[in-house]
Amino acid sequence: MTTLALPRRGRVPVWGTCLVLAIIAELIYFTLTTRQFAGHGTGMLQLTEQFAPTGVLALGLAMVILTGNIDLSCGANASLAAVIAGTVLAKGGSPALAIVAAIAVSTLFGLFNGIIVAFVGIDSLLVTLATQFIVTSIATSVAGASPPFGFSSAFTLIGQGSVNDVPIALLIFLVIALAVILTISFTSLGRSLTLIGYNPRAALYSGIAIRGSLTAVFTLCGVMSGVAGVLLAAYYNSAQPDIGTDLLLPAITAAILGGMDIFGGKGRIGEVVLAVFLLGYLSQGMLIEGDSSLSITMITGLVLIGALVIKVVFERNFRQRLTARMQRLRTMRSPGPPGSISPDADG
Amino acid sequence: MTTARNVKAASSAWRDLYMPPRWALLLRRREILVTAAIVIVVAASAAAHPYFWASGNLAFILADSVVITFLALGESFVMIGRGVDLSVGAIMGLSAIVVGFRIQNHGMTLLPAVLLGAAVGIVFGLGNAVLVGVVRLPPIIATLGTLSVYSGLEFVVTNGNQVDTIPSSITNLGSHTVLPGIPVILLLTLPFVLVSAWVLRYTTFGRSIYAVGDDAEAAYRAGIGVQRVLFSTYVISGLFAGLGGVAFLVYTSGASSTTGINDNLTAIAAAIIGGTALTGGAGGAFGALAGSVFLTVTLTAMSFAHVSDVWQPAGVGVLVLLAVVYDSRSRAGGPRRSPKRQRRRGAR
Repeated sequence: MTTLALPRRGRVPVWGTCLVLAIIAELIYFTLTTRQFAGHGTGMLQLTEQFAPTGVLALGLAMVILTGNIDLSCGANASLAAVIAGTVLAKGGSPALAIVAAIAVSTLFGLFNGIIVAFVGIDSLLVTLATQFIVTSIATSVAGASPPFGFSSAFTLIGQGSVNDVPIALLIFLVIALAVILTISFTSLGRSLTLIGYNPRAALYSGIAIRGSLTAVFTLCGVMSGVAGVLLAAYYNSAQPDIGTDLLLPAITAAILGGMDIFGGKGRIGEVVLAVFLLGYLSQGMLIEGDSSLSITMITGLVLIGALVIKVVFERNFRQRLTARMQRLRTMRSPGPPGSISPDADG
Repeated sequence: MTTARNVKAASSAWRDLYMPPRWALLLRRREILVTAAIVIVVAASAAAHPYFWASGNLAFILADSVVITFLALGESFVMIGRGVDLSVGAIMGLSAIVVGFRIQNHGMTLLPAVLLGAAVGIVFGLGNAVLVGVVRLPPIIATLGTLSVYSGLEFVVTNGNQVDTIPSSITNLGSHTVLPGIPVILLLTLPFVLVSAWVLRYTTFGRSIYAVGDDAEAAYRAGIGVQRVLFSTYVISGLFAGLGGVAFLVYTSGASSTTGINDNLTAIAAAIIGGTALTGGAGGAFGALAGSVFLTVTLTAMSFAHVSDVWQPAGVGVLVLLAVVYDSRSRAGGPRRSPKRQRRRGAR
């Protein structure tokens, strides 16, 4: 391992710059090819409310991925939150009550994931695979045969309203993104999460409360799922029990494309935010151009694979050059037999 | 006796002091445990609903489990090598669509259909294999990407049409039975399970998959071509997914652009229930078969007990959770192991 665990400040992040350039190129392309895309400047802003829920999910996931875990249940969890919010509203509850109830339930399932992963010690992939199935069932059961729809305008404002042409959903996403960035970079919890992902053993020996931190991060992911679910219900003005499940893959894609290392310990939340905009504008632009949502899924997959292949190949070459240089330095300093230092042999 | 000695050699220090009797060792084999569980579920359901024991119903359950068995078989190869293939369902759907259109529009017969299905599966499996074995992307991300691509491709290939007229000469395999309760399609599946079990247990290639899954570094130092083995497991997974697509056609006599989209996680669940560990190096072909049958039997028993279909995913989830909890207790010796487990996962 030659890379540092924590991002080095004061350097231009290469990957982030690439993402920004890609976003600019994409925006220019869609503005030139489809007239509705720019929509007198405000159209582009309005489009963001469609992928703000995915963005919120991706932020929660990014934190979990930072610790080297994964949460497959967050999409289903968002569905459940949407259904709960819808049911409370349909039963005559106030919007505030609906939001609180929805986020509370999804937080509870996040806590459940966290406790099982941290205290029983089961691989998070398996735990959240199981809870995903369970939460889906609960959401379908709560929604019943005719899922609730047609909510009061006070509630749908969250997903559809805007302040000075800036969608409220986008504002919520940006505020949460800022909070997550600050948490990861400047709090002890954030540092613990990074270290747990980078090297769990070192984290254990340096006295970090691994179990507490893991529980906290899964709970936070549950909170994010709840927020995403509320945004979805408000945007679509209905609460289908599969409303958030389809967002799982785009959210993971955004987190990975945003440079989060799936093994944990490496990645910047800011780049995840950029990746959310990149993918969101890509899919919205293609939708406006008239492509079907499934061929967009395909393009998203190709973008993910392509970006990762480039990144992995680039990093591997860089690391090899670095190792070779280190080796040369060492052999110059101590005239031992050449080849005594084994090269990168990760099989 | 060799089994006993192997278990002793492989177990940790505290287990060396205690040698369980043979029957207890047998219980440690997951496929036997799951088979016992199947018997219990069938017996309980048959006691409550006599129709459950009817040969027609048993044949229906077994035929139902065949598709998942194929997917879980392929998934087992990948998971034993400490990988994961999230795209098996999509490959299965693609194979079902491609083969289905050939049968529907060009009157293809069964044998060429199986060969075509296998070829389609291998081609898409190669995509995964190149990404994991050559480019060395982490398997979960690589197959997540191909899952998106393949499910989009399903939509492109169908172009809004669907397969709905499969001649009865082919669908009969799914509905006819040889013995009471044993559908023909199950008998056609068994050879694949047996060959997989033989490959995994008795060939050098099979043993090297276990070696790679248990400790890739050690396998590399022992002279195993780690990347080549991983490459092969993804091709095999694609192959079985392709065959699963043909089985899907035989059983359901139709396919559409969303075929198999939800089967990825079910296949992983079946493999896990059958004793294949996500941490690699453990599991087998019979486990995949037992896991799939157990899953189908339990879900059918649930609907016999008047549990709404809505709760079927929850049933799968609870079973996975139970299987995993049982696993980590029996293999890891308690929850203290969590940091180490994560480190090993990181090494994957």
